[in-house]
Amino acid sequence: MRQRRRYLGVGLIIALGTAGLILIITVGGEVKNKFNQDLDLLGGATLIRVVFDVAPGTRPQQFYPDTVKAVRAMKYVATATVMAVKPTPATSPGRDMPHFRLVGVDGQYWSAVSLQASHGRVFNDQDVAERRRICVIGGEVARDIFGRTDVVGRNLVIDRDTYLIVGVLDILKQGAHLHTAFLPITTAQDRIQDISPPNRLFVRVRTFNHVEQVAAKLPEVITARQSVRGLSIIVAWVRLKRVQNVAFLIESFVLVSTFAALVLGGFGIWNMMMAAVRNRTREIGLKKAMGAEDRDILAQFLAESMVLSLGAVTVGIILGRIGVELTSLWLGTHPPESLFFTAVGMGLAFALIIGVGAGLYPSMQAARMQVVYALRYE
Amino acid sequence: MNSDTLKRTTDFNALVEVEGLNKTYTTEAGEFQVLKNVNLTLHPGEMVSIMGPSGSGKSSLLFILGLFQPPSGGRYRVTGRDVLALDRAEQADFRRNSIGFVFQSCDLLDHSTVFENLEFPLIYGGVAKADRPDMIREALNRVNLGHRIYHPANFLSGGERQRVAVARALVNDPPFILADEPTGQLDTKNGKMVMDHFEHIVQESGKAVLVVTHDPEVGQRCHRLCVLRDGELHESPSGN
Repeated sequence: MRQRRRYLGVGLIIALGTAGLILIITVGGEVKNKFNQDLDLLGGATLIRVVFDVAPGTRPQQFYPDTVKAVRAMKYVATATVMAVKPTPATSPGRDMPHFRLVGVDGQYWSAVSLQASHGRVFNDQDVAERRRICVIGGEVARDIFGRTDVVGRNLVIDRDTYLIVGVLDILKQGAHLHTAFLPITTAQDRIQDISPPNRLFVRVRTFNHVEQVAAKLPEVITARQSVRGLSIIVAWVRLKRVQNVAFLIESFVLVSTFAALVLGGFGIWNMMMAAVRNRTREIGLKKAMGAEDRDILAQFLAESMVLSLGAVTVGIILGRIGVELTSLWLGTHPPESLFFTAVGMGLAFALIIGVGAGLYPSMQAARMQVVYALRYE
Repeated sequence: MNSDTLKRTTDFNALVEVEGLNKTYTTEAGEFQVLKNVNLTLHPGEMVSIMGPSGSGKSSLLFILGLFQPPSGGRYRVTGRDVLALDRAEQADFRRNSIGFVFQSCDLLDHSTVFENLEFPLIYGGVAKADRPDMIREALNRVNLGHRIYHPANFLSGGERQRVAVARALVNDPPFILADEPTGQLDTKNGKMVMDHFEHIVQESGKAVLVVTHDPEVGQRCHRLCVLRDGELHESPSGN
């Protein structure tokens, strides 16, 4: 009974270690992406801003569609989006003729800056391509004009043009966006008199580990497609460094914990096999008396050790799979199956290493035991 | 008759020949000689008992004959072959094919069935799986336990356990059976039954059986009775 409890304990440690390993390998990347997105709401450590830093009065510059396309195709870039800005505040008839910021963006903007509508929807590439007269407004703009935020379906008047409100951004974290009205960039360029050309480029990098690499490569990619002056790449370096440090610490901690669990499991198996050899000394003697060779006894105890570690790892794989499914559900995404199978392969390799590594010495002790010693063992 | 008088030159009919066997244990208290110049010969179809007080070296002799431990000196041949010169693998092969051992405490693997207990020697002997059930059934039938073939070993009575142990010693059909106090833990009825089986086996198959016992009645039922005293083997004339 005691031995069985010990088997269960060791098996559980190895199973949890394997499940952790599978979870880290399979959904670690997705969690990191999710972490990136969430971090963006706190300040955008993986968002690179590219602007033209030129003196006032010089000829305005802009990012051309081919350039944006090339940036989007860059390695490690999740998406890129351009923005046109009305330099002066816009107004709309309302309670106090409120002023607000007016910008034109494309359909990729929302995913690039991780924004979601709290009411209605944000506009997409099709809305932009069809130059639809729609807008998304910040919660403060809605309150200033309408006195409330559930204004989806109503019209916003700007420069005597009316725009159908399709969404409202009203989440506390959305900061400056609460005071902004967003038009499809094509619509804005058609209808807003003094709107700038698309001269701001936002590049979302997949993980914070690659921001530096992408930032360094961006000028080369942009200048290869258009001539530019005063290109300025803005990265929140301090914030990025902090995020990288925190992520490194968490990742290291989880990895160390996982490996510690597996090593602990290995020691557990070693300890248990030593106890098994001790408890079954007479059985070993009896089997040798029946003609078992050293290799038969070695194979028996090694097989037991392997079955224990493989069984535990199998349970770990099942737990890991459940963990992967639950995490995927939480993240709303699904990692590639190949990653899971890589993790399963690693888990099985661990089982083999732990099973053979931890079981070899006790098994060799059993195999080399003198028959007379084993038979006389009390 | 002392051990020297048992000494023979070469007996071509002998199954087992032991000549001048010594065993000395080295302990903290010094050297202790447990067997002194032991000579013994067993022929096919012969059942020999060895009696003696505790500590006289009976078990040591049996363990040497089973190749469970080496002697300190002497010769030991089975069918003319010097088995003390065998390496570890060859010794295991000898234990598998040439001897059957019945232990005093009827050591069965308790968490296995009777079938599994008898199967181990066959597995180690490389017997094909398909051939094993018949061999096991035949060995069990010899001790009248054919009906217990799939019974869990730990649910058997003491007498049944010892008879299963005898069947296990027979399952490989070895020519030489070593039995260490085979009736030591049995009541009279079961003890008699086990000895009946041994007698039957010896008569039927011509095997040689060496029985170590404390029980004079068991000794009387053997063809020859030897007494081990202070490490020396003496043949008693009172054998059957």
